[in-house]
Order: sequence, then C-alpha cells, then structure tokens
Amino acid sequence: MLVANQLTKSFGPVEALRGVSFSLAAGEIRGVCGENGAGKSTLMKLLMGVFHPDSGTIEIDGRTQAIDSPQKAQELGLAMVAQELSLVAHLSILDNIWLGNRAVPFLHRRVRFRRRAAEALRLLAVDYDLDRPVSDLTIGERQIVEVARLLVRDARILILDEPSATLSDIEIERMMSALRGLRSEGRSILYVTHRLGEFFDICDSVTVLRNGKDVATHQIAEINRQKLIELMLGRGFDEMYPEPTGQPPAMQALVISDLRIPGLVNDFSLVAPRGQITCIAGQVGAGAATIVRSLAGLVPEATGTVTLDGRPLPLGSIAKRVARNITFVSEDRAKEGIFHRSVLENVVAARLPRFTRVGLLSWRRLRRFGADICKRVMVDATRLDSNAFYLSGGNQQKVLFARALGGEQAGALLINEPTHGVDVGARAEIYRLLRQFCAAGHVLLMTSSDLEEVVGIADTVVTMYRGRIVAKYARDRINMSAILADITHPTAVSEAAS
Amino acid sequence: MSAELPVIPNRPAPVPYLAALTRNPRAKARAAVLCALLLFAVLTPSFLSMPSLTSLLATASVIGCVAAGMTFITIGGNIMSFALGGTAAISGVAFATTLNAAGLIPALICALLLGGLVTGFQGFIVGSIRANPIIVSIAANILIYGAASWITNNETINYLPNAGAAALQGTLFGVPIEFLAFIMLIVIGQIILTFTVFGRNLLLIGSGLHTAEATGLPIVRTLTGAYLWAGLFTAVCGILLSLRYSQANMEYALHYDYDAIAAVLVGGTPIGGGDGSMIRTLIGVGAIAMIQDVLLLHGFEEEWRYLVTGLIVLLVIILYSGRRG
Repeated sequence: MLVANQLTKSFGPVEALRGVSFSLAAGEIRGVCGENGAGKSTLMKLLMGVFHPDSGTIEIDGRTQAIDSPQKAQELGLAMVAQELSLVAHLSILDNIWLGNRAVPFLHRRVRFRRRAAEALRLLAVDYDLDRPVSDLTIGERQIVEVARLLVRDARILILDEPSATLSDIEIERMMSALRGLRSEGRSILYVTHRLGEFFDICDSVTVLRNGKDVATHQIAEINRQKLIELMLGRGFDEMYPEPTGQPPAMQALVISDLRIPGLVNDFSLVAPRGQITCIAGQVGAGAATIVRSLAGLVPEATGTVTLDGRPLPLGSIAKRVARNITFVSEDRAKEGIFHRSVLENVVAARLPRFTRVGLLSWRRLRRFGADICKRVMVDATRLDSNAFYLSGGNQQKVLFARALGGEQAGALLINEPTHGVDVGARAEIYRLLRQFCAAGHVLLMTSSDLEEVVGIADTVVTMYRGRIVAKYARDRINMSAILADITHPTAVSEAAS
Repeated sequence: MSAELPVIPNRPAPVPYLAALTRNPRAKARAAVLCALLLFAVLTPSFLSMPSLTSLLATASVIGCVAAGMTFITIGGNIMSFALGGTAAISGVAFATTLNAAGLIPALICALLLGGLVTGFQGFIVGSIRANPIIVSIAANILIYGAASWITNNETINYLPNAGAAALQGTLFGVPIEFLAFIMLIVIGQIILTFTVFGRNLLLIGSGLHTAEATGLPIVRTLTGAYLWAGLFTAVCGILLSLRYSQANMEYALHYDYDAIAAVLVGGTPIGGGDGSMIRTLIGVGAIAMIQDVLLLHGFEEEWRYLVTGLIVLLVIILYSGRRG
C-alpha cells in the first residue's frame, strides 16, 4: 500500500535520514522505534508533506507520488496525529475535529458532521459534549480529540507520533481498541512511540531506525524487548562510559526530604551522596527536571527540606545555593545557560568577586584562571575570546561545566540532560568530566530522558512516574528494561525496590 | 528531535572597539560614515572657528552626560528611560534652590542625591518585579513633572550671587566646563563597565537575563545600580544646565532622553543590551552633535534637526537589527 524507497533528508550539515526504506501493507499496524534523533519524526513529516525528501521516492498503491504539501498528503489518504498538540483552544470539540478537513465544504450541514464526530468519540469510548471548548479539556482528553480527528478523516494510512505520551492507561486502552477497529477495516497505521511495551500490545510488525537508517524490520512475533533495545542502541555501552570511581559513598550528601511541587511532585525524598552520580529517570512531565530546577532555586512554589552535609539549603534562594558552590546546568542552554558574550566571560561569570583588588578587576588574573579551567574541561583555550553563543552544543555544555570549577569547596552539580544536543564525540568527554567531578567530591544529581545514558553513567537511579518515585536501583541492579517499565507503567513496580 | 546549534568554526574573536573598526564589516561601515561626517563638518565654513566649536562642545556635552547615563540602562537590557530629561530638569531646580539656601557643596550633594534616588528607585522596581522598563520610566516622568509643578509652581529659580557657582561657570583653560565634566563621566563610566564586578554583571545580565538568574548573579542589586548611575550622570547634566544659565526651571532638558538614546545607538550599543561601552557613546554623541551643528551652520531650521535625528535613529536600528537573529 505504502512503499518508501531510500528516503534521505539533511538539515544543513545534519543528516537526519540516510536512506530509509520500508513498506506497509493494507490492514497492518507498523511500529516505528528508535532513540531520540534517530529520524522518526523527520520520516513522518516527509510522509505528511511537511518536509520534502532530498532523494528517494514514496509510492502509494504502486504509483510514485510527490507529497509536496500537507494538503496533498490528505488527498492521498494520509493523516497524522502530531507529537505537538495542534488543537485550537477556544474552538469547540466539534470544530476542532473537523478543522482543516478538506471534506468540509464552505457551507456545511452541521447535523451530518455532528453525527460523524459523535461516532468517532463513541469509538474511543468517551462522551464529551461536542460544544465544549477544547480549553476545558485536560492534556489527555485533548489527545483523545486528536485521535477522533484522525478517525473522521477517512484516511487509509494513519500516522500516530507518540500518541500515548500524555494518556492514562485506560485512555491508551481505549485508543488501542479504536485502532484495532480501524485495522479490521483494512486501514494501515504507522505507530511511533517510546514505550516499547506498546509495540507488543498493538503492532503487527516493527521497524527500527538508528542514526537516520532503517536497521531492521521484524514481525512482532519474532522479536522480544531485549532484542529491540539492542537494535535501537546498536552497540555496547563499554567504550562510551568511563568506569565508576568506585570509592565508597561518603557520609556527606545532599539530602532531600518531602519535596513537594504543587500539581507536579509529591513527597519526593532522596539522598545523593558526594562522589556519586545520582540520576532521576522519568518521562517528560514526570517531574524529574522540575525537581532539579527547584533544588537550583528556580521553582518558587516548591516546599520541603534540603540539606547539604547536614547544613540546610533553603529552597528558592539562588544566592544561598551559589554560595555553597552548587552549580545548575540547564537543558535549555540558549535561554538559561549561555551568555551572549565571550567564552572567558561565560566561564568566570559567577567567580568575578574573587578577582578584585580595591574594587577593580584584574583581567590578567581572570584570563589566566579562565584559560586554566577551559583546559580542565577540554575547551580550546584559543577560543577564550570567541562568542560562546556560536560554539557547538558540546563545547557550550563544557563551558557550563567549567562554571562549577574553581570553587573554594567541593559543591554539587544539578544537571538536566547533560548531553542534550551534544554530538557523540563530545558525549564521551562530558561523561569523563562528570566522573572527574565525582572524584573531586562533588554531589552529582542529574536527570536524563536518554535511557542508554542513564544506564551507562549513573551510580544510583531513581525512577519516577507522574511525580512519584517508583523505585531505586543501586549500580549493580540498574538495567534498562526495568527502568523503562518503571517510567512508563507504574503498575510494574520492580522487585529491586527496597 | 532537537535542531543542532549552528557550528561556526574559528569565529574571529571580538576585539576592543578601535581595533574592531578594521575587522567587523559593520564597524567598518560605521567608521566610514563617521569619517565622511567629520570631513563634511570640517569642510563647512566656520565649523572650525572657535566660538562655533566651543558652543558645539558645550551643548553636546550636556546631552552627552544623559547619554552616558542612558548607556548603563541600555547595556543592562532595559532599552531606555523616558524619565531622564525630567530627572535632569528637577536636579537642576534642586541645585539652584539649595544653592541659594545653603551654598555650593550642599547644592551639589542635593542634586546628585535626588537624581540618583529617583532613578535608582525605578531600577529597583524594574529589577525586583521585572516591570516593563519603558512603562516604569514613563510613569516616573509624569510623577517628576507633576511633583515639580506642585512644589515649585513652575517658577524659574534665579541664582543669588554665589562665588562658588561662578567658579564652575564658563571655561577652564579655554575648554568649556561642560565638556570637562562629560569626559570625566565617560572615563568613570568606562572604568565601571570594564573593571568592576558590577559593570561586568550588568553586561552579563543584559546579554541573558535568564542565564544570569540561573547562574545566581545579583539581578536586583545590579539593575538598581545601573539606574542609580544613570540618575547620577543625569543630575550632572541638570547641574551643568543650571550653571550655564544661572537659573533653573522644569523646561530645561526637555527631550534630552531622545537625543541621548540616539547617541547611544549611533555609537553602536545594541538596543537589546548585553554589549556596548562609554567610548561608543562618546563617539555617538560626537556624531550627532556634528550633524546637528552642520545643519545649523547650513541654515536649516530647528525642525530639521529633529527630523534628521529621528531618521538617524531609525536607520541605525534597521542597520543593527538581527544581531541575535
């Protein structure tokens, strides 16, 4: 029904897709999986006419088609639920279900469209009032409306890009049964998700993407979870991650008790010892990143007790946090990581008062200090005067780590996504840096949505699901499938929890 | 999937302003314009004659004090203040009043304190509750004129004979006192920006407010300080105006804030903040003064000066836009 041949797509120097081929039969549900950045979303957007392939062809029913616009894709019978919700908040559910549908004439008979919309919602086992504005709905309910919108499209090929990320288990089950109904009508579905379990629940077959290539396609019956993960990662962790420092956890630690963030996190408690990497793993929205932000003093509504080495650390006070040499490394470098100024000024930004005499700065000493810490984080010292904004992601991240150096006491690093937007080569260097901070006696508390990274670097992993801790794992008990199960399905509380 | 940031290898390092003139194409264009302007000015008959030059220096310097103060506000990412003209006027009135009542030194202190506090308080509001700086300055401007007309009845305050004030009027070794004061402020301002923690923090805050917050830089203190300095520098302008005419009223320094921001921008300090220097403002003040003076010497009326100043500011904003694009 749908055949893709050697599709390629580059964005500037980045090759997002490097020759992807697959075919989809009528009445087949095909899972598509891969790590972040493997090319899943790009592939879907090529099929939907949002992007145009640099080379390669797409055939539908045996005929080669140039899908040059989303309208063309709709005419060809393709429809997609996007990762980002695309509903219009102040319009009604009915209007949203039909929004942008080419079947709706300019003067339409509302009754017929009402009935079709109500049918679609019934298929998903919900009975929302069609005239309610979408702004009244929760994120999960909106996602259901997105799926309903897909159902009324009469599309023969449906694309769902992580439809389950914001849904509860019951809502997911409803959606799946609706999808099974569509399959029995002979429609084909491409199903993209991070939750590996769902492939085994609903898909007939699965295609694995890695670094912009399709590495394998298997019938679901002939593959298991372990195999799937291996295919996604494509290599062992050994060469990527340095050995843990191995020193026994010191008595001193960052102790968090009863941390509460209204509407997001309940009763979060954790001990992060010095000299170790403690990682909070959770999906986007589970609260892990916000916990780290709150410890950095950036979430005013957070409450709870936090101590470092037994001395209290008031939440919400950035100044007191900085005074204890606790450095926050944001996942959003452009907004709250990098100053639009030189590398030198970026690395010394928080240490200026130490380089004054009678109130005046010594640029000679600042420059020497900056060059020294740049060397320690492996940033080329000839770049001291370059604007840090134009460095590569990896170098920018190292500049942020450099800010943690040169304190009078070992402090802590609070890191959200240490390798977000960092290429593979610089990743290994950053992991080595993290270990150096451990060896220097810092507390390292990080979050990551990259599970390979979590398994590879962490000494202790805490898994979270919707603001609650699911389980804790010590180094020798960390394994990817257990973590994945924890952060996607809270029901399967691991036995490793103690 | 995240888009990678563009990797620009071996970007030439930013270098001090004068050296940058030869490297950065934009700075090159700016330098060319300045040279053409200078040539045009020198070729204008009577431009180089002493009375013309002296009066040019004096007028430009008074506005220059406000421009130097404005530079702190612009660099810190708060665009500009509309209240500096009013602050200059009320400082002048305070100076004249105190001079008649208590003498020169109390008058200087009183004027500087008033300018600094009135403006510093705006900085505190902008820094602590992240209020829109433009709106805050407009509100402050109305308050200043309102309070002044209530207290002084909009009367002109004339000097009683005062030896101290007389010593500060006119010229010193043939150089207008205004010009000496302006250059002193530029030097002080540049030292603050380059060599104090406060100045560096101000540049960093202007180049990334959220980053500054996450890094733990003292935002409220720094922004309050920037406005405080702006107010002090502006008070100097008020004092100089009052000295020049041996009197003071609230009509002085009207629209000096517009002339000041024009000078700051023409000098090359970006409107978004995070970069800039007093040296640039000095050049900007000189350029605008020269343009206005040449226009006058060529017989254009006052309204032409406003038109041309407005056009220059627009041109500069268009030329320098997209620095962060």
